Amino acid sequence: MYIYLPIAEQPIHSLAILGVGTFLGLIMGLVGVGGGFLLTPIMMFLGIPPPVAVASVANQLVAPSVSGVLSHWKRGNVDFKMGTVLLLGGVVGSSIGVVIFNFLGKIGQLDLVIKSSYVVFLTLIGSLMLSESLNLILRKRKGKVSRGKLHQHNWLHGLPFKTRFRKSKLYISVLLPIFIGIIVGILAALMGIGGGFIIVPAMIYLLGMPTSLVVGTSLFQIIFVAANTTILQASQNQTVDIVLASILLLGSVVGVQVGSRFTNILKGEYLRLILSTLIILVSLKLLTDLITIPSDIFSVIISR
Amino acid sequence: MKFLTSLHILVLAFIISHDVKAKNQIVADLSQENVKITTDFLGAKILLFGAYDGQKGDDIIVVVTGPKGLVTVQKKEKVFGIWVNTKSVNYINTPKYLNISSNRDINKILNQKTQKISEIGLNNLKIRLQPGKKVQKEKEWREALTRNMLKSKLWSLNENSVSLNKNALFRSYLSLPSNVITGQFEVKILHYRNSKLISKELSTINVSKSGVSAEIYNIAQNYSTLYGIFAVILAVLVGWGTNLIFRKV
Repeated sequence: MYIYLPIAEQPIHSLAILGVGTFLGLIMGLVGVGGGFLLTPIMMFLGIPPPVAVASVANQLVAPSVSGVLSHWKRGNVDFKMGTVLLLGGVVGSSIGVVIFNFLGKIGQLDLVIKSSYVVFLTLIGSLMLSESLNLILRKRKGKVSRGKLHQHNWLHGLPFKTRFRKSKLYISVLLPIFIGIIVGILAALMGIGGGFIIVPAMIYLLGMPTSLVVGTSLFQIIFVAANTTILQASQNQTVDIVLASILLLGSVVGVQVGSRFTNILKGEYLRLILSTLIILVSLKLLTDLITIPSDIFSVIISR
Repeated sequence: MKFLTSLHILVLAFIISHDVKAKNQIVADLSQENVKITTDFLGAKILLFGAYDGQKGDDIIVVVTGPKGLVTVQKKEKVFGIWVNTKSVNYINTPKYLNISSNRDINKILNQKTQKISEIGLNNLKIRLQPGKKVQKEKEWREALTRNMLKSKLWSLNENSVSLNKNALFRSYLSLPSNVITGQFEVKILHYRNSKLISKELSTINVSKSGVSAEIYNIAQNYSTLYGIFAVILAVLVGWGTNLIFRKV
């Protein structure tokens, strides 16, 4: 059944969108990441203009994040103090991101920046994930599973404005999470992602947070960053397609719930292997689009 | 249903044609004058039909022109291995929809000069470059504009698509693609005899957004911040709702 998207101004098959939303929700539920950074490129492959894809995916991300935080909260896996500091940075960052987004749109380079940022980040994340999961699989076969290092102290812990984060058992400078928040916020606004795949490793390796708190806390801050991005994209650029976002989020919230029920059945490292392959494929497809000679080097933009 | 309406139209047109014969004129009508872009819009096909006071060898050309405005042509170049939009040229007064239909090749109906004067043909449109910018190899850009507009189906040239019947009736189909721009579309039906314009008829088609899709678009444009807040609240509610539902399952 085709449905006309009022902001993207084109019809699209609603079941295809629902299917993509559910599939990515499933991945999100199974692995804990993978919502936005796969969803936005897939929307672009389906012909949604990149600016609309980015803004609408930010909108849809709010739903699975709310749903995820609620279940992590029940298990006591959210550090609200750390989350609040991160989201303050995130809100500032995403506001900067929307301004950059607007500027890039005016000079006609928005599509290029969105696509090339995706190539860079997907390749990075995909190959890291791939090597990590392969390592783990090989080590498990040999029967040796080493525990990851506990957090180390480095120069980052010497920054001023030290604050105690009781829940995370940390005493670190408040500037560090704010800075991480800003960077992730900018990327979230530009790429239509929650930023989970950047903030989760940053929380573990840079802040040294306990792994059990990382996913819940990052989801908590993603809600606000995605919400801020949605409102600003809507007011500055009018690119949020609520119809597209609604179909996507209906699929994804169901997918997340179903996916999270199967996490104990399927092996994490094999899942990550599949996901990382998928990520690398998407990034290769985007890269080929950027480097192959276009069928027509000229294109037209019709002002509405 | 479609067959019935067409038949109905033909009968009607035939009756009108008697009237037309006496006055040496052309009358035309459209199967749809108001096109509404609703949530199930996939494009529209409009039947254009009518009667004319014709003789053997007469020709009919139909020109449908949509709203005019700014169209930007961009050119990509390879920069560090990546294809990047590097140059752009703005054309003003450019029709954002154009359909030229005729009963046979336009070159056989009119000579080049007449085509130019009467603005018939894709290269005879009065499209201008935005003033203040010098453009080298303008022809290349102008050709790119035509090529891309044709590819997007917003422009079309359909020679041999107007069917004539008994030198009295004509009919033709117009298709509006799903990405059509809203606004007033001017329909010009021209009747030629030996390359001379005998009579013409003007009509309009109104394309507008309608229903839920139009409401959403208008709210997004006029109350953009509220729209954004609403979009967020909706997502929060859905997220919270599914959590409630799945907790009980």
